[in-house]
Amino acid sequence: MKRIIDGYHRLLSGLMVATVAILIVPVTLQIISRYTALIPSWIWTEEASRFLFIWMVMLGAMIGIREHSHFEVDVWPELGAKGAALLRLVSDLFVLIFALVFVWWGIQFVRFGWDQLSELAELPMPWIFVAWPLAGVTWVLFLGESFVQSWRVLRA
Amino acid sequence: MSAIAFGPGQAAILLFGVFFALFILRVPVAFALGLACLPVVILEDRLSPMILFNETFKAYNSFILLAVPFFLLTANLMNVGGITDRLVHLSRTMVGHFPGALAQINVLLSVFFAGISGSSTADAASQSKIFIDAQVKEGYGLSFSIAITAVSAVLAVIIPPSILMIVWGGVISTSIGAMYLAGILPGLLIAAAQMVTVHVYSKIYNYPVYPRSTFREFLLSGWQSIPALFTPFIIVGGILLGWFTATESAAVAVIYAAVLSIFVYREMDIRHLYHALAETGRLASVALFCVGTASAFGWLLAYYQIPKALLANVTSWGMGITGVGFFIAFVFLVVGCFLDAIPAIIIVGTILQPLAASVNMHPIHFAIIGIVSLAFGLVTPPYGLCLMISCAVAKVPLKFALKDTMIMLVPMLVMLAAIIIWPEIPLILPKLVAPELLK
Repeated sequence: MKRIIDGYHRLLSGLMVATVAILIVPVTLQIISRYTALIPSWIWTEEASRFLFIWMVMLGAMIGIREHSHFEVDVWPELGAKGAALLRLVSDLFVLIFALVFVWWGIQFVRFGWDQLSELAELPMPWIFVAWPLAGVTWVLFLGESFVQSWRVLRA
Repeated sequence: MSAIAFGPGQAAILLFGVFFALFILRVPVAFALGLACLPVVILEDRLSPMILFNETFKAYNSFILLAVPFFLLTANLMNVGGITDRLVHLSRTMVGHFPGALAQINVLLSVFFAGISGSSTADAASQSKIFIDAQVKEGYGLSFSIAITAVSAVLAVIIPPSILMIVWGGVISTSIGAMYLAGILPGLLIAAAQMVTVHVYSKIYNYPVYPRSTFREFLLSGWQSIPALFTPFIIVGGILLGWFTATESAAVAVIYAAVLSIFVYREMDIRHLYHALAETGRLASVALFCVGTASAFGWLLAYYQIPKALLANVTSWGMGITGVGFFIAFVFLVVGCFLDAIPAIIIVGTILQPLAASVNMHPIHFAIIGIVSLAFGLVTPPYGLCLMISCAVAKVPLKFALKDTMIMLVPMLVMLAAIIIWPEIPLILPKLVAPELLK
């Protein structure tokens, strides 16, 4: 199970790196096209960069749960291993609620935009909206792993 | 659903109450903001949870925010591509013979860094790795080393280019070119205040000094750094001349840093590049995800007209420009303790704008007061990103470096007061260089 989650995690982070790398391309084309006739001033560059950007944010937010890189604030004194695990368990529970909201209403969000096309490049909008329920499902998976870890510490 | 219609008071209690409860339970801030929206959007008759999706989508579907990953990437490329090393060397030849040499270099490097990258978190992340360990080895206090690295990192969003100014310009429609020019002098003054602080610390604790570099070494190092030091002129000049927009300028900074790293300094390989891209994606996406949920939270505040209720009395206090300036700085400083700067601009900046306009405060003056105050929020607990990053690199809890950080903030706050009292400090450069932008 851990190997599967590891693999999925690597896949997501590879995709995120790809979005960051590609992001620079449409913006560069947009600037260059203004000054030379070598490439036409495509209208889709701005939209393409925005959509890549949305996916970058959502992919990073997905793996952020497993890497614990979402910023949290520590107002507690030093807790022992068990205390920390218990607090982690509680805060993970709340994140799980949010993840389930993203799954449940996220599916409706995708359905709602099922027939929509983007304004400029006429891309199907569900390709973008699906990032929300996917984030929800991914969080549920990663949180499940985190619950098991906290539980082990608590029982030890 | 049941027919509930909240008044502004009830909605405010519910929104802020849930947020703070979750905040204390160590739920990540981005999720706490999103979860705080839930009870209201589910219970309130006129709203639905779809708001959460529409508002986050709208927040991410923004060309302006692209500047965030671009400036982070610029910073990461500078680090792996040898630009940072050369700037460290240049700083050393300039301030290495002052007491507390390494700490002075730390501050001066932040000034150079600020002129190229517009991200304070990137500055804190990279300089913590360079300086904290090195300073401790030379006998500086650990808490002092963390604090000076974190407070000098805030310069990155005050000295142009700046992510915060781009976002401010997008949200409150203020000229970004004018803000860039206006940020230069306040940024240099705050850097000077920090260098004086380092000097006083170094005299008290006898921090080490390096031998004075020769003028030749300075010239040589300066010559090597010229291509890097040229960046701010390309970015700010390009915007003022209308060559590219502010967000595009961030992309130009990325390309310029990549070209320097690959062709001029020749220190970057594929592995480094991948690492720089991954670091950028990680930091940018968690910071921006929070912008989305904060936008939903801010939308609800606006929906219930909570800000208007809060500010209803303030306008009747009859404050002058200076009074309003101090009030604005105070609000941003307090909010900056609990929120990241971009969400704070979205939620609070828009609320305060009518107040600033009501006393005829210049929009650029308002912007600089807001941005400097929010920049200070990057090192104030409990939610001070730069301080959190520096402490994380040093592997100590945030409380550890708190005292020295607060001491260093005092002279910086004096500079903020000066900026509030004398609008000329931010306004003089734009007046001289591009008066048409101030109209």
